[in-house]
Amino acid sequence: MRLARPYTVAVGRAAGPHALPLARIKKIMKRSTAGDGGAGGESRMISGEAPVVFSRACELFVAELTRAAWAATLEGKRRTVHREDVAAAVRDVDLFDFLAALVVAHGDAAGCQGALD
Amino acid sequence: MADAPASPGGGGGGGGSHDSGGSPRGGGYGGVREQDRFLPIANISRIMKKAIPANGKIAKDAKETVQECVSEFISFITSEASDKCQREKRKTINGDDLLWAMATLGFEDYIEPLKVYLQKYREMEGDSKLTSKSGDGSVKKDTLGPHTGTSSSSAQGMGQQVAYNQGMGYMQPQYHNGDISN
Repeated sequence: MRLARPYTVAVGRAAGPHALPLARIKKIMKRSTAGDGGAGGESRMISGEAPVVFSRACELFVAELTRAAWAATLEGKRRTVHREDVAAAVRDVDLFDFLAALVVAHGDAAGCQGALD
Repeated sequence: MADAPASPGGGGGGGGSHDSGGSPRGGGYGGVREQDRFLPIANISRIMKKAIPANGKIAKDAKETVQECVSEFISFITSEASDKCQREKRKTINGDDLLWAMATLGFEDYIEPLKVYLQKYREMEGDSKLTSKSGDGSVKKDTLGPHTGTSSSSAQGMGQQVAYNQGMGYMQPQYHNGDISN
Protein backbone atom coordinates (compact mmCIF):
# COMPACT_ATOMS: atom_id res chain seq x y z
CA MET A 1 0.00 0.00 0.00
CA ARG A 2 2.56 2.55 -1.01
CA LEU A 3 -0.10 5.09 -1.85
CA ALA A 4 -2.06 4.69 1.33
CA ARG A 5 -1.01 7.92 2.90
CA PRO A 6 -1.17 10.37 0.02
CA TYR A 7 -4.43 8.80 -1.01
CA THR A 8 -6.01 9.50 2.34
CA VAL A 9 -4.90 13.08 2.33
CA ALA A 10 -5.52 14.03 -1.25
CA VAL A 11 -8.47 11.96 -2.34
CA GLY A 12 -9.88 11.77 1.14
CA ARG A 13 -10.89 15.33 0.67
CA ALA A 14 -13.21 14.43 -2.12
CA ALA A 15 -14.34 11.08 -0.86
CA GLY A 16 -14.15 11.86 2.82
CA PRO A 17 -15.24 9.27 5.28
CA HIS A 18 -18.50 8.94 3.40
CA ALA A 19 -19.34 5.83 1.49
CA LEU A 20 -20.53 7.81 -1.49
CA PRO A 21 -18.99 10.80 -3.26
CA LEU A 22 -20.57 14.05 -2.14
CA ALA A 23 -19.90 15.90 -5.38
CA ARG A 24 -21.78 13.27 -7.33
CA ILE A 25 -24.70 13.34 -4.95
CA LYS A 26 -24.87 17.07 -5.30
CA LYS A 27 -24.95 16.83 -9.07
CA ILE A 28 -27.89 14.47 -8.93
CA MET A 29 -29.65 16.77 -6.47
CA LYS A 30 -29.09 19.75 -8.73
CA ARG A 31 -30.72 17.91 -11.56
CA SER A 32 -33.85 17.35 -9.54
CA THR A 33 -34.19 20.90 -8.25
CA ALA A 34 -33.56 22.60 -11.53
CA GLY A 35 -36.27 20.88 -13.49
CA ASP A 36 -35.08 20.29 -17.02
CA GLY A 37 -31.67 21.82 -17.23
CA GLY A 38 -32.64 24.67 -14.96
CA ALA A 39 -34.57 26.41 -17.68
CA GLY A 40 -37.57 27.19 -15.51
CA GLY A 41 -37.33 29.19 -12.26
CA GLU A 42 -34.07 29.67 -10.49
CA SER A 43 -32.26 26.60 -9.40
CA ARG A 44 -32.26 26.03 -5.68
CA MET A 45 -29.04 26.10 -3.74
CA ILE A 46 -27.86 23.10 -1.78
CA SER A 47 -26.26 23.40 1.63
CA GLY A 48 -23.01 21.65 2.34
CA GLU A 49 -24.76 19.33 4.76
CA ALA A 50 -27.33 18.09 2.33
CA PRO A 51 -25.08 15.72 0.36
CA VAL A 52 -23.69 14.49 3.66
CA VAL A 53 -27.18 13.49 4.73
CA PHE A 54 -27.69 11.73 1.43
CA SER A 55 -24.39 9.89 1.59
CA ARG A 56 -25.70 8.06 4.63
CA ALA A 57 -29.33 7.93 3.53
CA CYS A 58 -28.37 6.28 0.26
CA GLU A 59 -26.40 3.66 2.15
CA LEU A 60 -29.46 2.86 4.23
CA PHE A 61 -31.62 2.84 1.15
CA VAL A 62 -29.36 0.56 -0.88
CA ALA A 63 -29.03 -1.85 2.04
CA GLU A 64 -32.77 -1.99 2.55
CA LEU A 65 -33.54 -2.47 -1.12
CA THR A 66 -30.88 -5.15 -1.39
CA ARG A 67 -32.17 -7.07 1.61
CA ALA A 68 -35.65 -7.04 0.13
CA ALA A 69 -34.27 -8.19 -3.22
CA TRP A 70 -32.31 -10.95 -1.51
CA ALA A 71 -35.53 -12.19 0.06
CA ALA A 72 -36.95 -12.53 -3.45
CA THR A 73 -33.79 -14.31 -4.57
CA LEU A 74 -34.13 -16.85 -1.78
CA GLU A 75 -37.76 -17.34 -2.59
CA GLY A 76 -36.71 -18.33 -6.07
CA LYS A 77 -34.21 -20.74 -4.51
CA ARG A 78 -31.29 -18.90 -6.03
CA ARG A 79 -28.13 -17.34 -4.68
CA THR A 80 -27.62 -14.55 -7.17
CA VAL A 81 -29.60 -11.35 -6.99
CA HIS A 82 -30.89 -10.32 -10.39
CA ARG A 83 -32.73 -7.36 -11.73
CA GLU A 84 -36.08 -9.09 -11.36
CA ASP A 85 -35.40 -9.62 -7.67
CA VAL A 86 -34.97 -5.90 -7.27
CA ALA A 87 -38.19 -5.43 -9.21
CA ALA A 88 -39.92 -7.91 -6.90
CA ALA A 89 -38.62 -5.99 -3.89
CA VAL A 90 -40.07 -2.80 -5.32
CA ARG A 91 -43.42 -4.49 -5.76
CA ASP A 92 -43.39 -6.07 -2.31
CA VAL A 93 -42.45 -3.06 -0.22
CA ASP A 94 -44.78 -0.05 -0.16
CA LEU A 95 -41.91 2.25 0.67
CA PHE A 96 -40.46 1.59 -2.78
CA ASP A 97 -43.60 2.48 -4.71
CA PHE A 98 -41.91 5.50 -6.20
CA LEU A 99 -39.56 3.16 -8.06
CA ALA A 100 -42.31 1.17 -9.71
CA ALA A 101 -42.24 3.05 -13.01
CA LEU A 102 -38.47 2.82 -13.28
CA VAL A 103 -38.35 -0.89 -12.57
CA VAL A 104 -41.26 -1.73 -14.82
CA ALA A 105 -39.83 0.31 -17.66
CA HIS A 106 -36.74 -1.82 -17.62
CA GLY A 107 -38.59 -4.98 -16.75
CA ASP A 108 -39.87 -5.36 -20.27
CA ALA A 109 -36.50 -4.83 -21.85
CA ALA A 110 -34.64 -7.12 -19.52
CA GLY A 111 -37.36 -9.56 -18.68
CA CYS A 112 -36.41 -12.19 -21.18
CA GLN A 113 -32.73 -12.18 -20.35
CA GLY A 114 -33.41 -12.29 -16.65
CA ALA A 115 -33.41 -16.05 -16.59
CA LEU A 116 -29.74 -16.48 -17.31
CA ASP A 117 -27.76 -17.15 -14.23
CA MET B 1 -13.86 17.34 -7.72
CA ALA B 2 -12.24 14.03 -8.31
CA ASP B 3 -14.94 12.07 -9.98
CA ALA B 4 -14.47 8.41 -9.48
CA PRO B 5 -14.74 6.59 -12.73
CA ALA B 6 -18.31 5.54 -13.22
CA SER B 7 -17.41 2.51 -15.18
CA PRO B 8 -20.62 0.77 -16.08
CA GLY B 9 -18.61 -2.38 -16.33
CA GLY B 10 -18.33 -2.42 -12.58
CA GLY B 11 -15.59 -4.23 -10.78
CA GLY B 12 -12.40 -2.63 -11.87
CA GLY B 13 -13.48 0.92 -12.24
CA GLY B 14 -10.62 1.64 -14.55
CA GLY B 15 -12.25 2.45 -17.84
CA GLY B 16 -13.76 5.88 -17.97
CA SER B 17 -16.01 5.11 -20.88
CA HIS B 18 -19.65 5.48 -20.24
CA ASP B 19 -22.68 4.18 -22.04
CA SER B 20 -21.26 0.83 -22.84
CA GLY B 21 -23.22 -0.89 -25.52
CA GLY B 22 -25.88 -3.28 -24.42
CA SER B 23 -26.73 -1.40 -21.31
CA PRO B 24 -30.36 -0.29 -21.26
CA ARG B 25 -29.43 3.22 -20.23
CA GLY B 26 -28.04 5.94 -22.36
CA GLY B 27 -31.04 7.13 -24.29
CA GLY B 28 -33.55 9.61 -23.03
CA TYR B 29 -31.22 11.94 -21.21
CA GLY B 30 -29.84 13.71 -24.24
CA GLY B 31 -26.20 14.30 -23.63
CA VAL B 32 -26.04 13.91 -19.89
CA ARG B 33 -23.07 11.84 -18.98
CA GLU B 34 -23.54 8.73 -16.94
CA GLN B 35 -21.29 10.08 -14.20
CA ASP B 36 -23.67 12.98 -13.78
CA ARG B 37 -26.69 10.78 -13.35
CA PHE B 38 -25.54 7.95 -11.14
CA LEU B 39 -23.42 7.22 -8.14
CA PRO B 40 -20.39 5.03 -8.86
CA ILE B 41 -21.40 1.43 -9.33
CA ALA B 42 -18.40 0.20 -7.33
CA ASN B 43 -19.66 2.02 -4.24
CA ILE B 44 -23.19 0.75 -4.77
CA SER B 45 -21.90 -2.75 -5.21
CA ARG B 46 -19.92 -2.58 -1.98
CA ILE B 47 -22.95 -1.48 0.02
CA MET B 48 -25.11 -4.17 -1.58
CA LYS B 49 -22.65 -6.92 -0.75
CA LYS B 50 -22.63 -5.92 2.87
CA ALA B 51 -26.40 -6.32 2.97
CA ILE B 52 -26.53 -9.96 1.90
CA PRO B 53 -24.86 -13.10 3.24
CA ALA B 54 -21.34 -13.89 2.14
CA ASN B 55 -22.52 -16.78 -0.02
CA GLY B 56 -24.83 -14.53 -1.98
CA LYS B 57 -23.94 -13.03 -5.34
CA ILE B 58 -25.17 -9.99 -7.16
CA ALA B 59 -25.58 -9.87 -10.90
CA LYS B 60 -24.53 -6.82 -12.85
CA ASP B 61 -28.06 -6.09 -13.95
CA ALA B 62 -29.15 -5.94 -10.33
CA LYS B 63 -26.36 -3.50 -9.49
CA GLU B 64 -27.31 -1.27 -12.38
CA THR B 65 -30.94 -1.33 -11.36
CA VAL B 66 -30.12 -0.37 -7.79
CA GLN B 67 -27.80 2.32 -9.11
CA GLU B 68 -30.71 3.82 -11.01
CA CYS B 69 -33.00 3.42 -8.02
CA VAL B 70 -30.61 5.41 -5.83
CA SER B 71 -30.64 8.33 -8.23
CA GLU B 72 -34.41 8.14 -8.25
CA PHE B 73 -34.39 8.12 -4.46
CA ILE B 74 -32.23 11.26 -4.35
CA SER B 75 -34.53 12.99 -6.82
CA PHE B 76 -37.64 11.89 -5.01
CA ILE B 77 -36.48 13.26 -1.66
CA THR B 78 -34.87 16.36 -3.12
CA SER B 79 -37.98 17.35 -5.03
CA GLU B 80 -40.08 17.13 -1.91
CA ALA B 81 -37.54 19.16 0.06
CA SER B 82 -37.29 21.66 -2.76
CA ASP B 83 -41.05 22.17 -2.78
CA LYS B 84 -40.95 22.84 0.92
CA CYS B 85 -38.25 25.45 0.45
CA GLN B 86 -40.27 27.06 -2.29
CA ARG B 87 -43.33 27.25 -0.06
CA GLU B 88 -41.25 28.79 2.69
CA LYS B 89 -39.48 31.08 0.26
CA ARG B 90 -36.04 29.80 1.07
CA LYS B 91 -33.33 29.48 -1.51
CA THR B 92 -31.20 26.76 0.01
CA ILE B 93 -32.06 23.16 0.69
CA ASN B 94 -30.44 22.10 3.93
CA GLY B 95 -30.04 18.82 5.76
CA ASP B 96 -33.14 19.33 7.86
CA ASP B 97 -35.27 19.83 4.77
CA LEU B 98 -34.12 16.45 3.56
CA LEU B 99 -34.88 14.80 6.89
CA TRP B 100 -38.32 16.34 6.80
CA ALA B 101 -38.87 15.10 3.26
CA MET B 102 -37.79 11.58 4.17
CA ALA B 103 -40.14 11.51 7.15
CA THR B 104 -42.95 12.78 4.95
CA LEU B 105 -42.33 10.22 2.25
CA GLY B 106 -42.24 7.22 4.54
CA PHE B 107 -38.56 6.92 5.37
CA GLU B 108 -38.97 7.80 9.03
CA ASP B 109 -36.80 4.85 10.00
CA TYR B 110 -33.84 6.67 8.49
CA ILE B 111 -34.28 9.79 10.57
CA GLU B 112 -32.62 8.68 13.76
CA PRO B 113 -29.46 7.24 12.18
CA LEU B 114 -29.24 10.28 9.94
CA LYS B 115 -29.57 12.70 12.81
CA VAL B 116 -26.73 10.93 14.58
CA TYR B 117 -24.63 11.05 11.44
CA LEU B 118 -25.40 14.70 10.84
CA GLN B 119 -24.65 15.57 14.43
CA LYS B 120 -21.26 13.94 14.18
CA TYR B 121 -20.61 15.84 11.01
CA ARG B 122 -21.58 19.10 12.66
CA GLU B 123 -19.31 18.40 15.59
CA MET B 124 -16.46 17.89 13.19
CA GLU B 125 -17.28 21.14 11.48
CA GLY B 126 -17.61 22.90 14.81
CA ASP B 127 -14.30 21.57 16.03
CA SER B 128 -12.53 23.00 13.09
CA LYS B 129 -11.57 26.63 13.09
CA LEU B 130 -13.59 27.13 10.02
CA THR B 131 -17.00 28.61 10.28
CA SER B 132 -19.68 26.12 11.05
CA LYS B 133 -22.02 27.71 8.61
CA SER B 134 -21.70 25.33 5.75
CA GLY B 135 -21.68 27.27 2.59
CA ASP B 136 -22.87 26.12 -0.73
CA GLY B 137 -20.71 23.34 -1.99
CA SER B 138 -17.54 24.19 -0.14
CA VAL B 139 -17.82 21.58 2.53
CA LYS B 140 -14.70 21.60 4.62
CA LYS B 141 -14.03 17.97 4.16
CA ASP B 142 -10.44 18.28 5.24
CA THR B 143 -11.67 18.38 8.78
CA LEU B 144 -13.42 15.09 8.49
CA GLY B 145 -10.29 13.03 8.68
CA PRO B 146 -10.60 11.72 12.23
CA HIS B 147 -14.33 11.35 11.83
CA THR B 148 -14.36 7.65 11.22
CA GLY B 149 -12.33 6.84 14.26
CA THR B 150 -14.23 8.79 16.86
CA SER B 151 -17.60 7.22 17.12
CA SER B 152 -17.69 7.62 20.86
CA SER B 153 -18.50 11.29 20.66
CA SER B 154 -21.93 10.58 19.31
CA ALA B 155 -23.29 9.66 22.70
CA GLN B 156 -23.05 13.10 24.22
CA GLY B 157 -24.02 14.61 20.95
CA MET B 158 -27.43 13.09 21.15
CA GLY B 159 -28.64 15.49 23.80
CA GLN B 160 -28.08 18.65 21.86
CA GLN B 161 -29.26 17.04 18.77
CA VAL B 162 -32.66 16.20 20.14
CA ALA B 163 -33.01 19.74 21.37
CA TYR B 164 -31.95 21.04 18.02
CA ASN B 165 -34.53 19.09 16.18
CA GLN B 166 -37.43 19.70 18.43
CA GLY B 167 -40.35 21.27 16.77
CA MET B 168 -39.26 20.25 13.34
CA GLY B 169 -41.92 17.61 13.23
CA TYR B 170 -39.94 14.86 11.60
CA MET B 171 -41.64 12.11 13.37
CA GLN B 172 -45.08 12.63 12.09
CA PRO B 173 -47.07 9.51 12.65
CA GLN B 174 -47.30 8.62 9.04
CA TYR B 175 -46.78 4.95 9.25
CA HIS B 176 -47.21 2.43 6.63
CA ASN B 177 -46.02 -1.06 6.61
CA GLY B 178 -42.87 -0.71 4.58
CA ASP B 179 -41.03 -2.81 7.03
CA ILE B 180 -37.35 -3.33 6.77
CA SER B 181 -37.27 -6.68 8.39
CA ASN B 182 -37.78 -9.42 5.94
